[in-house]
Amino acid sequence: MTQEPAAVFEAVTKTYGPVRAADGVDLAVRRGETLALLGRNGAGKSTALGLLLGLDTPDSGRVSLLGGTPGQAVRAGRVGAMLQEGRAVPRVTVRELVGFVARTYPRPMPVADALALAGLTALADRRVGRLSGGQAQRVRFAVALAGAPELVVLDEPTVALDVAARGAFWEAMRGYARRGGTALFSTHHLEEADSFADRIVVLDGGRVVADGTPEELRRTTGGALVAVDLAGAPAAFLSGLPGVTEVEIRGDRARLRTDDPDATVRALAARDAIRGLEVAPPALADVFLGLTRADGTARNPEANR
Amino acid sequence: MNTALSTTVAYARLEALRTLRDQGFVISTVGIPVLMYLLFTNLGGQHDPAARTAAMVGMAAYGALGAAVSLGGAVAEDRSTGWLRQLRITPMSPRRVVAGRALTGAVVVLPSIGAVLLAGGLLNGVRMPPLQWAATAVALWLGSLPFTLLGLGNGYRLAPQTTGAVNVACTLGLAVVGGLWFPVALFPDWLAAVSAWTPTRRFAELGTAFAEGHTPTAAAVPLLAAWAAVFGTYAAVSYRRSARTV
Repeated sequence: MTQEPAAVFEAVTKTYGPVRAADGVDLAVRRGETLALLGRNGAGKSTALGLLLGLDTPDSGRVSLLGGTPGQAVRAGRVGAMLQEGRAVPRVTVRELVGFVARTYPRPMPVADALALAGLTALADRRVGRLSGGQAQRVRFAVALAGAPELVVLDEPTVALDVAARGAFWEAMRGYARRGGTALFSTHHLEEADSFADRIVVLDGGRVVADGTPEELRRTTGGALVAVDLAGAPAAFLSGLPGVTEVEIRGDRARLRTDDPDATVRALAARDAIRGLEVAPPALADVFLGLTRADGTARNPEANR
Repeated sequence: MNTALSTTVAYARLEALRTLRDQGFVISTVGIPVLMYLLFTNLGGQHDPAARTAAMVGMAAYGALGAAVSLGGAVAEDRSTGWLRQLRITPMSPRRVVAGRALTGAVVVLPSIGAVLLAGGLLNGVRMPPLQWAATAVALWLGSLPFTLLGLGNGYRLAPQTTGAVNVACTLGLAVVGGLWFPVALFPDWLAAVSAWTPTRRFAELGTAFAEGHTPTAAAVPLLAAWAAVFGTYAAVSYRRSARTV
């Protein structure tokens, strides 16, 4: 198999009325990786996935999928997808639905395997329209995987799932990735992107504002959190310490955000201010908040690799 | 069988199953036409065999018309649930999806036709040679194609709520004006003149001709074909418009 990227966005733009849902997106998805598209609601995740699947065409720029156009890849049965919107198909059983979708593909997986992978074996003869939200979500997952595609695209795949079902879902996704499948999923759950993606692309206002492994993203913001007990000492000096960019006092405890934790800790030691010292890397949530703003404009586009 | 073809057939089978599991569909396209046929022919002591045969064909045509047009509701529903969008990301091409849907129409009209003809033969004593029965059924089956196309056009063009109302209006309007419920002989002249141009009138005429063992009038088949072309264009234009938004 050639090693061309699984999917490529080149300077892609897409506007819906006044909304720039994709505003110059550049992105290459490598074969075999699990990539998370992370962003707030309205950041442009669903638009990006729609363009990737050929459900929409870009206003400018180019989208290619598995070396051809999205349409060609879809017609060749190389892509499976789980769309976000959509209610259950009425008056059809789980087995009938998954079986039908599987047979539209040239080399599908056995229907029993697809059902087992999605944890639907016991529900195979139930009507899809009568399942719970979480069960229906698993049906859509089985539909995405039934054709044994090279690339699977999942828009908010775990949105209606409880904790146990989420675990089972990601276990199934790991199985798919182990067989060499490429997966692209969108989410607004940081922990999910952090735990299950090889790579995270943060979208905001239709732009890629960060792109890297979870560790790389943590490093992008640089810095760390340093916390100490004040033991009644005045806190004024803290903001003047080397590296410190932000000071937060909660009761008797000071939490310092710093660009240079080593220098900050040395300066605290020099003033004999170390009591109950805690140094932590920034939480991914802080990284995410630093990269995106509620008004949808990018604050830190330089973080883009 | 070629894979693309067998996929289309599998799709039509799935959709036909879904339609036939819809109780509302079965009641309105099988139950009501049979009931109306039996009521209209047995109330008022009408015992003229020719009238019973004509009413049988009319009600079978009415049932088939309703079944074919109801395809629009099913398509509108599939657009709103996202099922058509999901189909767009399977290897099945959009043209095959439409072809499969039209094929579904050809299957789901059969219960209406079969049930009313059975009621005629078993309960109302309509008698004709086996070949004539078969020819009548086939004529009704093939003649329902324009209405399937009308249903598809509605389904691809209209919102689900609107589709329901438009389908009922199309079915009832075409049935009454086309003379499927009451003989055209009872119509005032102006309505009879309008009726002559409707597809439903020619549809019923096709069935009645075979049931009575004579050939349909020269106008019947060309007029029905012209309506098929009109509704086919309507379906194609509606489909193209919706392809951008589904």
